[in-house]
Formats: sequence, structure tokens, C-alpha cells
Amino acid sequence: QHGRVKVKTTAQQEEEKRKEREKKLQIYVAARDACFTKRKDGVFDDEALQLTQQLLSSNPDFATLWNYRREILLHLETVRNQDEVQKIYEAELSFLESCLKVNPKSYGSWHHRGWVSARLPRPDWARELSLCDRCLSLDDRNFHCWDYRRMVVKMSGVPVKQELDFTDRLIGSNFSNYSSWHYRSTLLPLLHPQAPDTPSQCGNPPPSASPQTHFHRVCEEQLLKEYELVQNAFFTDPNDQSAWFYYRWLLGRAERDEMISCVYVSREEERVAVAFSRPVNAQSVGLLLILDGQPQRVEWQSVHPHFKNSPVWICSLPPGTISDVANEHNLTVHWTEKHSHRDCALYTGRSESWCRDTATDLELFRSELSVEKTSVLQSELQSVRQLQELEPLNKWCLLTIILLMRALDPLGYEKETLAHFQTLKDVDSMRSAYYSDLCSKFMIENTILKMEYAEVRVFSISDRKLTTLCHLDQLLLVTHINLSSNQLQQLPPQFAMLQCLEVRIGTLFFLLFFINLNSEISTLADLQPLASCPKLKRLDLRGNPITQTTNAEAELAGLLPSVTDLLL
Amino acid sequence: IAQLKDVIIKPDAPSSLLLDKHADYIAAYGSKKDDYVNNIHLKYDNAIGKMDTINVDKAVEFVLSCMNFDGGFGCRPGSESHAGQIYCCTGFLSLTGQLHQLNADLLGWWLCERQLPSGGLNGRPEKLPDVCYSWWVLASLKIIGRIHWIDKAKLRRFILACQDEETGGFADRPGDMVDPFHTLFGVAGLSLLGDEQIKAVNPVLCMPEDVLQRIGLQPDLLS
Repeated sequence: QHGRVKVKTTAQQEEEKRKEREKKLQIYVAARDACFTKRKDGVFDDEALQLTQQLLSSNPDFATLWNYRREILLHLETVRNQDEVQKIYEAELSFLESCLKVNPKSYGSWHHRGWVSARLPRPDWARELSLCDRCLSLDDRNFHCWDYRRMVVKMSGVPVKQELDFTDRLIGSNFSNYSSWHYRSTLLPLLHPQAPDTPSQCGNPPPSASPQTHFHRVCEEQLLKEYELVQNAFFTDPNDQSAWFYYRWLLGRAERDEMISCVYVSREEERVAVAFSRPVNAQSVGLLLILDGQPQRVEWQSVHPHFKNSPVWICSLPPGTISDVANEHNLTVHWTEKHSHRDCALYTGRSESWCRDTATDLELFRSELSVEKTSVLQSELQSVRQLQELEPLNKWCLLTIILLMRALDPLGYEKETLAHFQTLKDVDSMRSAYYSDLCSKFMIENTILKMEYAEVRVFSISDRKLTTLCHLDQLLLVTHINLSSNQLQQLPPQFAMLQCLEVRIGTLFFLLFFINLNSEISTLADLQPLASCPKLKRLDLRGNPITQTTNAEAELAGLLPSVTDLLL
Repeated sequence: IAQLKDVIIKPDAPSSLLLDKHADYIAAYGSKKDDYVNNIHLKYDNAIGKMDTINVDKAVEFVLSCMNFDGGFGCRPGSESHAGQIYCCTGFLSLTGQLHQLNADLLGWWLCERQLPSGGLNGRPEKLPDVCYSWWVLASLKIIGRIHWIDKAKLRRFILACQDEETGGFADRPGDMVDPFHTLFGVAGLSLLGDEQIKAVNPVLCMPEDVLQRIGLQPDLLS
């Protein structure tokens, strides 16, 4: 029960109310019991129709009675001619309209109307659409009505363009229009899809799962028009959150293609590590390893025992297979389910090798922008900045400025981004933990980009107030990591994705020469992931609360026996 | 101009947890004869241990087809995102080991934006806060590992303000009539927020953790 205000009454008022309720209850119960008895006896007469109508008028959420009513109607279909059935169902639609006037949010009523409309010999879809128009003009957030409208549109073949125009009208005249923007997000990709490879193609999209995939994104020409539409909305009312949510989606990008993004091989440890663009279950997707033309029988292991689906998988090769440094070897990893594969050549004299698409290659953190799109986004950034000056407490402006800067030039705008995040945390303090994590993610992305440009295997990000670690699957090849002067409170289990990865069946350890952690590590438990690195030699924990605990040195030595260089 | 829909918490609203009052309320409720039993979102109480009776792959495919531009889920493909549906879908994806299919950052953002200045949570943009969303939204955030994205102290204050000091029980918002539905979700929400007077509750199944430990059930959660 929602929205029922508690009102205090006297004892006498209470008693009078109780008597009245008692009387009503008796009538109700009698009618209800009569219905159940009839149904049990298989009776489908006029009285049953009347009784159910009486009860459902005051309680449209009584699902069982709608079921019984449908049974009655189905029975009538078998004993009346088509014209009579048409009349019966039209009467039903009238009845439903009166129910909906009283309670426009009853699941039972809307479902029944949908059922009736689908069974009507001569449906009047125009009338149904007009009912939706009227209902939405009273409450354009009524999702029951929107869902019913979508059914009507589907059944009667209303053109997508017509529905898009409908959302235009609603958005133009009403506030609180999240439902309209949402509907647009489903309509636009149907009318103006972004084809994955060839921009000119407008083929039928496959029944893809998520709106984040290619086929649910919009081609650039329409996208730019849509930016303008949304901008008008949030400039008219900067506090209308739905426009800002929708804009964030427009600025986003399609999900990555499913593929193998990296293959790494270590000659010394005779291991192969494979990184995927999405978490997969390598044990069930047909992952095949071919060495020098010969398929290898290997056991694929996730980097972390608890993750059935992981972006990084490892296997060991039979001993002696690639250990001789004088030999060259060619590896291919096939992802048979997706018809994808990646080759990796291990040359003579080399102890390791890899083949990968970098984050830059994949446009992981920023998509390639056309000249036109760049120019549009730049002018949008300018406009939102102007708006922000007029509305300094508006968090949507601040966040959107950050998102625009990320889209245009993540590295160039790094300093400004950090400053805006600080302001954002002040303006919208309830969500400061979200902003800290989002900022951390962006700083990690920038560090990965810088690392790739420099072509080094050192991941160094200090004094950036990091509160979380992410994109660890991109750090497969990293040998050195510096996380000093941040605010990390623990190491995530995904830390196991870090390079250089080596696995023995049953245990997991990695070859990290050097870790520098200055965060808020305060208990042994926080360092647990490091216990999986028997080759970890040097650990710098200076500045972390854990160094203050009594017996810290002895306990750490117990947890991390391989560390010879422990700095507290 | 869009008005922000929210409630004001009065200074004399309850500010501590009235556990004994709630116990009395629930005990008394069961003894009345004209109870109206609410219908709440049901999931897999039958399916636990019997997952092989349904086509899980098809079910996963259907649920994912309900994912929207904002990372949330609606009733059917094409339906607007709603916290109740999101709870059902994230719980489902947890039980079927498919949480990695979510965009946790995007969905987590949409969910943490449910928190209003009063500290309460609504179910979708521009709606009033409601104590039952303290469960639907909070449990979803817990499942996707982002519960720290809302202001816990402010939410706790809102939930406590929804108590009725006279009768016990929780209402949907401060000053309204209490009912068992909102009482359950108020208490469960407080548990997720870490109240030590209440047993730990599992976000996927809305049951005490110790019960699930006994039967060895531990659904996936993202970290």
C-alpha cells in the first residue's frame, strides 16, 4: 500500500468505521465466494460475468477473477457468432476503460485489455492508440500505458517514424519525460541504425541482447541531430534529469566486438595467457590452442578460482614443449564459438612473446571522432561550460563537461577533469564515492594510454586519490606497478590478472618484481591477493596504517615469505 | 520547470530503531482475520535446486533483452527501467552466474541517482522516495558491488523516519500508514546498511545469511 496518510481519529469514529468496514466486507466476501463456487463448478453464465465485474470494479488487482472472467469469455466465444463476440468484447473494452479511469496503474486491467484487444474479431487499433494518447496526457510516466502502447504499435504496424514524432511532441510540451526519452532510445536505432563496418548498410539487426551493442546504436548523422534536440531540453530546464541521462547515452559508444585481445607466452614457465574483450567461460566456448600446427591438449584455468567467467585465462604446456630457446614456435589460439583467433610467434633467443590489440587500437576509452562530430562536441562543451557558470550548483553540467572532455581528449583535459571532479564532490556530496570511483577509472584509463604510447610495461599511478582499481585485464603485460599515495583500501581479486602471469595447476602466482603501495592498507586481510605471488621480492608499504600494528613485520613475513625487501 | 519530488523529514521523526515495537506489530498482524496479502515480486523460490526444469540459456537471453540504454531493466523488452525489475533481473543474473553481462558502472550510477536530498530512494527518476526501494535499489547495488555509492547515513535516517512509534512497523514514507510489506523492506534495508541489531540478510534471496549458510547456498556478487 502506497501513499496512505495516517489520520488520527477518536474511539467513536473508529467504531463507526469498523462497523461500516464489517458490512462492506460481508458483501464482498459473499460475492467472492459465489465466484469461486461457480468457477469450481465450471459455470460460465451471465451472473458470473456480473459478479466478477462488481468485484473487479472495486478491486482490479484480484488477478484470479480476471482469469475466471477470461475463462467465461473463452466459453462465450464457442457459443456465440462472430458479431456477438465482437459486441461482447467491445463491452469488455468499455468496462476496462471505466476500471482504468479509477486505477490507471493496475497490472490486471492493462493485461486484460491487451488480451481482449488481441482476441477482438475486428480490433480498432486507432481507438486503442488514442486511449494511450489520452492516458499519457494525464500521466506520461505510466509505464503500464507505455507498454500497452508498444503492444498496439506492434500489432497494428504503426511506423517507427510516427512514434518518434509522438515522443517529439511529448518532450516538447511536458516535463518529467524520462519515459519518452527511453522510448526514443529504442526507436532511433531501428530507424537509423549504426552498422558495424559499413556506414551505408542498413540491414536487419539480429535479435541482440543488449542496447549497448552496435545494432542498438545510432548512425552519426542522426546522432548529431539528436545532440541538438537534447541540448535544447537541458538548456530549457537544466534540472530535468532525463535529458542529461539520455545525453550520457548519446555520448557513449557501442560495446566491443567479442574477440581475443591478447595472447602471451612465457618460455621459462611454459605457459600461455589469453585475454578476451569480455569475460568468458573458456572451458565452454571451444578454446583451442595450436602449437606449430598441432592441437594441444591443455587445461584452461581462470585467473581467479571463484570466477567462472573471466577476461583472462591461462594454461600450461607439456614440459619441454617450448623450453629450448634455440627453437622458434608458432602459436594460435582459436575461439571456435566466435570464429576468432590470434597468432603469436615465439622467436629464438626470446624468453617471452605476445600479440595484442592495444587499448588505443581498440579505441577502448575513446572512439575515433569524425571532423564534424569533433566540431559539434567542442561547441557543446563550450555551451555546457557557459551553462555551468550560470548554474554553479548543477551537478549535471559538471558531470557532462567531464564526459565531453573524455570524449574529445582524455589526456589533454586530465587536469581540468580532476578539478571538475573535486567540484562535483562538493556540489553532490551524497554521491562522492561514485565520483571518486569514476575519477579513478578515468585516471587509470589515462595511465594505460600513456603507458601504451611510451611502450613500457610499467603501470605507475600515484597521488591520484584512487579509490578503486579497474581495467586490470588491460595490465596483462605489466611487470612493475606503482600505486603509492592513493586511497585504495584493499586489492581486488581481479589483481590476479596482472602480468607476468604464471600458473601451476591448483595455485596461482605472478612474477612481480616490485610493488609500491601507499594507500590505506590497514589489515593483513587487505594484502591477501599478494599471498598468491611466491616470486614477489620487494614490497614498499610505507605510509600505510598496517605498519603501525604491533608485530606487523613478523605477520607480514608469515603471509609473504618470498618478500626479501619489506619496507615499513 | 521540473520540481524535485521528495519528502521533508520532520525534526520529531523517529531516529532510532524501534525493534520491539516492530516485533509486536508483526506478531499482532498475523492474528487478524481480514488480512489482505500483498503481491510482491516473486522469483525462484521453487526453482532453487530445480534449475534444470527451465531453459536457463533462453531465460538469460530474455532478461538481457530487457536491458535498456541506462543499464537498467524493465518488465518486457522495450519497457522503461524500474528498480523493482532491476532487482529481479540482477538477482536472476546472480543465480544463473551471469552478472558479468551487466554494465555495473552504468547501472550503479542510475541506482545511486535514486537517492534524493531527504536520503530516501525512489524507484525511477522523478518519483517520490519509498522505503521499499531501500530494498530493491540497495540490494541491487549490493549484488553489483556498488553499495558504497549511496550515502548510507542519510538513507538510514530516512528509513528510521518511516517508523510508526505508536503501532510499530514501517510505512512507505514518513507519516503514512504502516504495513508488513514496508516493514520487511525497512528492516532488510537497515540490515544491508550494516545495522548490528539485525541479522545479516542476503541481497539476492532476501533471507538471513545464516539460513543460507546452513544449506550451503551462496549466490554470486560482484566486488
